[in-house]
Amino acid sequence: MKRIPISPPVAALLLAVILFLLSGLLPNGFGSDMDVARAQAMNILRLAVFLGVIAAGQTLVIISGSEGIDLSAGSVVTLTAILTYVIVNGADEKVLLALLVSLAAGALIGFLNGVGVTFLKISPFVMTLGMAGVVTGTIIVVNHGNVSGRVAPIMTRLIARPLSPEIPIPNALIIWLIFGILMWLLLERTTFGKNLFAIGVNRVTARLSGVDVTGMNLATYALAGALAGFGGFLVVGNTGVVLLQLGQPFLFPSIAAVAVGGTLLSGGKGSYWGTMAGAIVLTLITSLLTTMQMPESVRRMVLGGTLLILISIYGRQKSLRQ
Amino acid sequence: MAESLSARNIVKRYGGVVALSDGNLEVQAREVVALIGANGSGKSTMSKVINGVVVLDGGQLLLDGNPIHFSSPQVAKNLGIATVFQELSLIPQMTVAENIWLTREPLNALGQVDRKAVKARTEELLALFAGTFKTGLHPDSPVTSLPPDEKQIIEILKAISFDPWLVILDEATASLDSRQVQRLFELVKKWKEQGKAIIFVSHRMEEIFRIADKYSVLRNGKTVGAGDIKDINEKQLVKLMIEKESVLGFLRGEAKSDEKIEKEISLEVENLTADYVRGVSFKVRRGELLGIGGLRGQGQRHLLHSLFGDIPYTGTVKLFNTELHFKHPREAMRKGFALVPGDRAKEGLLYIRSILENLLLPSWKRYGLPLKVGNAKKEAIRVGSSLNLKMAGLEEPVSSLSGGNAQKVVIGKWLMREPQVLLLDDPTKGVDVGTKAEFYALLTRLSDEGKTILFYSSDDEELIGLCDRVLVMYDGRIRSELAEKTLTRENLIAASLGVSHGGAE
Amino acid sequence: MKQSRWDALAARQPALFALVLLVLSLIVNLILQPNMFAKDTLNSNMRVFLPIILMAVGQAIVILGGGIDISVGGIVSIVNTVLATRVGLEGSPGEMWQFVFISLLVGLLAGAINGFFIAYLRLQPIITTYATSFLYAGLALLILPNPGGGIPGSIAALYRNSTPFNLPLAFYVIAILLFVWLYLSSTRYGKFLLAVGGKAEAAYETAVPVTAVQFSTYVISGFTAALAGIAITMLSGSGNADIGNPMTLNSITAVVIGGNALSGGVGGVVGPVMGAITLGIIQNIISFASIDTWWETLVKATIIVVALAAPGIVNLFRRRRA
Repeated sequence: MKRIPISPPVAALLLAVILFLLSGLLPNGFGSDMDVARAQAMNILRLAVFLGVIAAGQTLVIISGSEGIDLSAGSVVTLTAILTYVIVNGADEKVLLALLVSLAAGALIGFLNGVGVTFLKISPFVMTLGMAGVVTGTIIVVNHGNVSGRVAPIMTRLIARPLSPEIPIPNALIIWLIFGILMWLLLERTTFGKNLFAIGVNRVTARLSGVDVTGMNLATYALAGALAGFGGFLVVGNTGVVLLQLGQPFLFPSIAAVAVGGTLLSGGKGSYWGTMAGAIVLTLITSLLTTMQMPESVRRMVLGGTLLILISIYGRQKSLRQ
Repeated sequence: MAESLSARNIVKRYGGVVALSDGNLEVQAREVVALIGANGSGKSTMSKVINGVVVLDGGQLLLDGNPIHFSSPQVAKNLGIATVFQELSLIPQMTVAENIWLTREPLNALGQVDRKAVKARTEELLALFAGTFKTGLHPDSPVTSLPPDEKQIIEILKAISFDPWLVILDEATASLDSRQVQRLFELVKKWKEQGKAIIFVSHRMEEIFRIADKYSVLRNGKTVGAGDIKDINEKQLVKLMIEKESVLGFLRGEAKSDEKIEKEISLEVENLTADYVRGVSFKVRRGELLGIGGLRGQGQRHLLHSLFGDIPYTGTVKLFNTELHFKHPREAMRKGFALVPGDRAKEGLLYIRSILENLLLPSWKRYGLPLKVGNAKKEAIRVGSSLNLKMAGLEEPVSSLSGGNAQKVVIGKWLMREPQVLLLDDPTKGVDVGTKAEFYALLTRLSDEGKTILFYSSDDEELIGLCDRVLVMYDGRIRSELAEKTLTRENLIAASLGVSHGGAE
Repeated sequence: MKQSRWDALAARQPALFALVLLVLSLIVNLILQPNMFAKDTLNSNMRVFLPIILMAVGQAIVILGGGIDISVGGIVSIVNTVLATRVGLEGSPGEMWQFVFISLLVGLLAGAINGFFIAYLRLQPIITTYATSFLYAGLALLILPNPGGGIPGSIAALYRNSTPFNLPLAFYVIAILLFVWLYLSSTRYGKFLLAVGGKAEAAYETAVPVTAVQFSTYVISGFTAALAGIAITMLSGSGNADIGNPMTLNSITAVVIGGNALSGGVGGVVGPVMGAITLGIIQNIISFASIDTWWETLVKATIIVVALAAPGIVNLFRRRRA
């Protein structure tokens, strides 16, 4: 396996910068207009926030190893977005409740994933894929076609708007930065984080060193679900509307973002900073394709192809013959 | 049939680690060459180069004088080279017959596997070892249900099923009992008459002198001696294998105090039964270095793992007269137990993580929230230097360390917690001689400090030199307890093979 | 370690469980639909089940070999869109068969791509086929952005009404496949497959051509997915780029119900075929049980999760008992 000299998150950021500069050269690009460029950059970053938060849970389960992955993230986002929409119904006082419900709902679904993976020994891919179907089915039942609700003004203020007219930094970006620091603390400065990396590398060693592997597994999937729930809360705060397919477009990119960011898909190594860089790269790719007026089909193919190329570089396993 | 195989100046690297720097071997038809070396000398790598499983980085292989290149195990197999592997190459869910004939199944006219022929030929092969099986071994038995010695026999039958000219026996006798070893050696003699060549990879002196015609000694990846067996004796062979006259020059005997202070009983085990452990009872005192001996796979590992709470068991375990029953290693850890497992890559270390993280793995809770990494680093450095750990830095991955230093990390991980009971499963396996001496000093010091130490070793010299007492396990039970005068090599070997001896209880 | 006789039997014949389930579901279906075995009803059922049965065969072989193929749904979609656009409602039967042939080649190629990345580049099967699933689904969408197109009415009618010797056409197709499988599994290839799926390193040391075997399983899976695509196009008579999406999880569930271990090396193809039929019958039962349309998605998804969880639950009890 080749040694990549630059750390993957840095490489990802470089890639993002290059892609951004390339986008400027396109017909609808910013050309040499600095103001437009800055505005566009801010917009990309703002859009990347939502993918970034949704990819946080994905980062955790992938680090936990044993082919960890969470394919229910997309449907959890949709579910919690709808729940928030309905609970808040325009009232500022209900926002905190909606947030808590979102976290709890996400955690519950994640916990069920964890149970299936840990006790029933179902592979995470299959378990979370199945769970995604159940959550979607639940949404349809709850939804019955249409929901009535509204986002509260405070949510729009905190999520969709910039800090102040003088400081044109989107609030969402600030939330993301704080979130990123908290994720770093979780992964690098708590026993949970250290144990997470441990079980990602070698569950036997972890267990023989006193780590409660079962508990960690359950906690990781539950936490991933809660984070996806938080993502859904933010997404609806940003868009103000709900759709049945609200969360689905985030799912594949969330996995690709983690991979781009250098987290090993086999587990045991990685960081959330990398995922953040990866989220920016993926948002850039999507937005580039939109600017080039490429249809959804091309977007899908590009995403699939990108992940394929990524794992061909980063994800090769030991060859049979040494 | 070929007549000879030569390996000249073989070099093999695994990543940064050099397994072989100058490996040489000459083998002719109708003879048995013993490939000898201590753990970690490169023996297994040598056999993997010869049977095509790994690619060599330098040197040459010659078949009947002509250079040859094995691009895959298939090529080697087609040339008539068969291997009985140390880590068995059997497919667990498949049956005995399926495993033996894999890739060589007799076919009928339509290209289908001829089941009758398979069954008949399997029974022919099984008959070669008739009378040495413990269970009723059928061609249709799933391999996963067999005990280790029978699995080893199937591995042997698999190797000779296609009538190879060169058979590599890589530590093939490790799991066999004495009857089975005897039968195997009878077969080896027959194979010689048939014109086959055999490479016998081992470090068991007694067997080597029984069966080998020639010898070739590997030490630290280099061939340091070769010749006829009749021209050499055991002591000279051992001298070739290890650098110093005796590693245990520092023997416990010297460091032991003359008075035997009767310390209190710390660990008491009564009728412990678990997987592969059939009712084991013993007592250990504080400050005692209790050895567990016997051939590998007789329940020693499972005994240690049960005591550590990793495997469920029935029976009574008492620590200083309080009964304990750990359900998880976490519980054992909290009561001051520590386990250094037998396979450090698979059980003892997080290979891609840093040395710091490996040392701290069980102990992060002590450093608060958020973790005070600075304090952790200080303590890690302290433990590292007390163990004389040679590393580039705490942040380096543990994979950058040599075998001996990596093992120090495994031990260091536990020493940071100051355990009172240390369980060790073959701790000096694959460790270089210098580090071995350091370990012996460490274990002696710890036991002098009043810790209770229980350790399994497959190395008889080690057990004799270090331990006050040795419990020899065979087939899941304690066969003999050897101490002081009865603690001799002959008694150890005899007990390991299940033969009872006159003398001690 | 002693095993009860039931355990030993179940271990040697994993398809037994599938047979029991099949019989049970047949009985329930018969109660709700007494004319189930009448020629027309039987034919109607079987041609609806055929696509999943075909996919289950290929998926079973991939899973036996220790891998998994998440891209099968995408391959089905490609075949469907190719047929619907290239042949169209106005096409001639000759063109149809021409493109059927081309579709099979497409399936083989898609499978070969998967096989190349997984067997030769040694990438992880789950994430690789997940990436290619996006690639293939995107391609299908590119070929046919909106549902439409179709196939000649005569062909669709042929598929619908063929009952040689009064048995559904599907029976013959399944019989041919099973015949081929029974032959294959009795050759060395069959043993190689179980060995590679059981313990690839041991198989390698035994000089089994592991890479070639793994590659072949993906090619086979691509082929059967193409067959399934042809079948479903003949069934629906029209094109839809999303047609393959729900089929992937169904094919995996069929294999799990069929008694094959998801980890590989255990099972066969007969069990998964029974599993696919069982799944189809269960969906029939749901339709007959007149469940509220809103609840249908949730119920179906829950059944899939339960089916996936069943082997794990059974093993849990077995382990507790031991």
